[in-house]
Order: sequence, then structure tokens, then C-alpha cells
Amino acid sequence: MESTLDYKEPLNRFLAEVERRAFQMAKFATRNRDEALDLVQETMFQFVRRYSNRPREEWNVLFYRILRSRITDWHRRSSVRRRVLAWLGRPEEENQEDPLQVLPDTQNPNPSDHALRQEERGVLDRAIWALPLRQQQAFLLRAWEGMDLRQTAFVMGCSEGSVKTHYSRAVHTLRGFLKEQYP
Amino acid sequence: MNTKDPEELLLERAKDLLDRGVENLGPRTERRLEDIRFRALSAGEEKRPGFFSFRRWVMVGGFAAATAAAVALFFWMSPSPQPLPTGHVEDLEIITAKERLDFYQNIDFYRWLETNGNGIRTNEKAS
Repeated sequence: MESTLDYKEPLNRFLAEVERRAFQMAKFATRNRDEALDLVQETMFQFVRRYSNRPREEWNVLFYRILRSRITDWHRRSSVRRRVLAWLGRPEEENQEDPLQVLPDTQNPNPSDHALRQEERGVLDRAIWALPLRQQQAFLLRAWEGMDLRQTAFVMGCSEGSVKTHYSRAVHTLRGFLKEQYP
Repeated sequence: MNTKDPEELLLERAKDLLDRGVENLGPRTERRLEDIRFRALSAGEEKRPGFFSFRRWVMVGGFAAATAAAVALFFWMSPSPQPLPTGHVEDLEIITAKERLDFYQNIDFYRWLETNGNGIRTNEKAS
């Protein structure tokens, strides 16, 4: 019983720590809340089943590697579905933005500051959405997750040189989008 | 005065906004994430048997029994050892005898000569 708790507690803490960022990353890639939640679910199940016995230091990169792989699979499936729908002559369903995302945050004490930040966040979200998938992943893993080149290359399954290229292109594009905020 | 590099500034701000963006995902999403986490942990626990668990020992015991049965069956089904084929030993002697190889190559001719040679000689005498 003790061994189960020993194994479960750190894992629970780790998953609680990464689940929100993982969800947001999946949502940037899919632009759909439910699809993003499904991807997080698949990732968590696979991670716990396969890698929970690995050393704690490896968990972060392994978790994001699974997530990245799930996102890539999702994109491949979506691409096939789009082609089939186009062939059948049916219009593709547009991904809807999460309505909960735009709900006001009642916990914020300063509404005007909050509105500004919401607006700024909206601009950033749209800018990240507009990035190609690989650039998006390189940017989020490096700038948000704080991974180094080697870790990012492992997660993305490519060379460090490719990571550098994707990341610098992403930063360049984002700067273009956000030049009003960051001249 | 801000001496920070504009790129550094952008990255810091972006990180801050992204962090704030996940602070409040909404009750429905947060509940769902929590539910996913608990289910993943439970599934992992079911899959992870302890060292002394009954299931593990049943699996190990079953595997050992199946291996023993396979080995026994193999020995039981395999044919008994046969004596060495003697004919092959004679062939080996012929192959290894270098100096007499031409003799063995022409042996059919000698056999024919022996059989038909007498007849030829008889015919010669008669003529």
C-alpha cells in the first residue's frame, strides 16, 4: 500500500503541474477545447502506463514528447479528414474558440488592467495560433516550458539546428504580430 | 530606463501572459483535467502490480510451467539417436584417397570391361 502511495503522489503532483500548460499547448495546436482535452487525456494515460517508472528528471521531456507526438497524429488525421471532406464537397467544420476562455475573470481586483491584459493575451494567442505547428512547438517549449535546445530537439524529434531555425522564425513572426505592444 | 533587449522583453511578456492564461481555465475545463489525471493514475495503478502480488506470481508460475512443458514435449517428441550411416564413411575414404581418384572415376568402365571383355575375346578367338 505504501509503495502505491510512493509512486502515486509524485506522479499526481507532476501531472497537476503540467496539465494546464499541456492543455493550452494542445489547444494552440487544435484550436478546440475538447480535442485538446482528448489529447491531454491520451498523453497522460500513455505517460503513466509507460514512463512513470522512469527517473523524475526525465518526466517533463517524456511527457511533452508524447504530447507532441499525439498533436502530430491529430494533425495528420485532421489533414486526411479535410481532404476527404473537400473531395466529398462538404464544408469543413470550423473550430470554435472556447467560450469559457472569454468569460470575465471575477477574481481580478482591477478590471481595467485585467481588460488590457485580456486583450494583449488575445493578440498573443492569435499570433501563436497563426504560427506553423513546428514553430509553435519550438516557441512554446523553449520560451514557455524553459527547455534547452537538447531537450526541445528530443521532444520535437528533430535536430538542434532545426529547433534553432523554428524558434527564431517563430520569434520573428511573433514580433511582427506584436509590434504594437513591443516596438 | 529599460536596458533589456526587445526580444528578451517580448519573451518575458509572452511567458507572463501564457502563465496567466492558464491560471483560470474555467471550472468545466479544470474539472475535466482533474478527472483525466485521477483516471490516468488509477489506470496506472491497476497496471502496476506489486512485487509480491498474486497476479505477478501467477504469471511467472504460468510462464515457468509452460516452458517446462515445452522442453519436456521437445525431448519426448524428438526421435532416438540413429547409428552413423556406414556408407558415408566408405565414400569419405574414396574422396580422401587422392592418388587413386582416377581409378574410382573409371570404375564403371572397368566393370563394363570385365563384363564384356570376355565376350570380346571369345569373339576374337572364334573369328
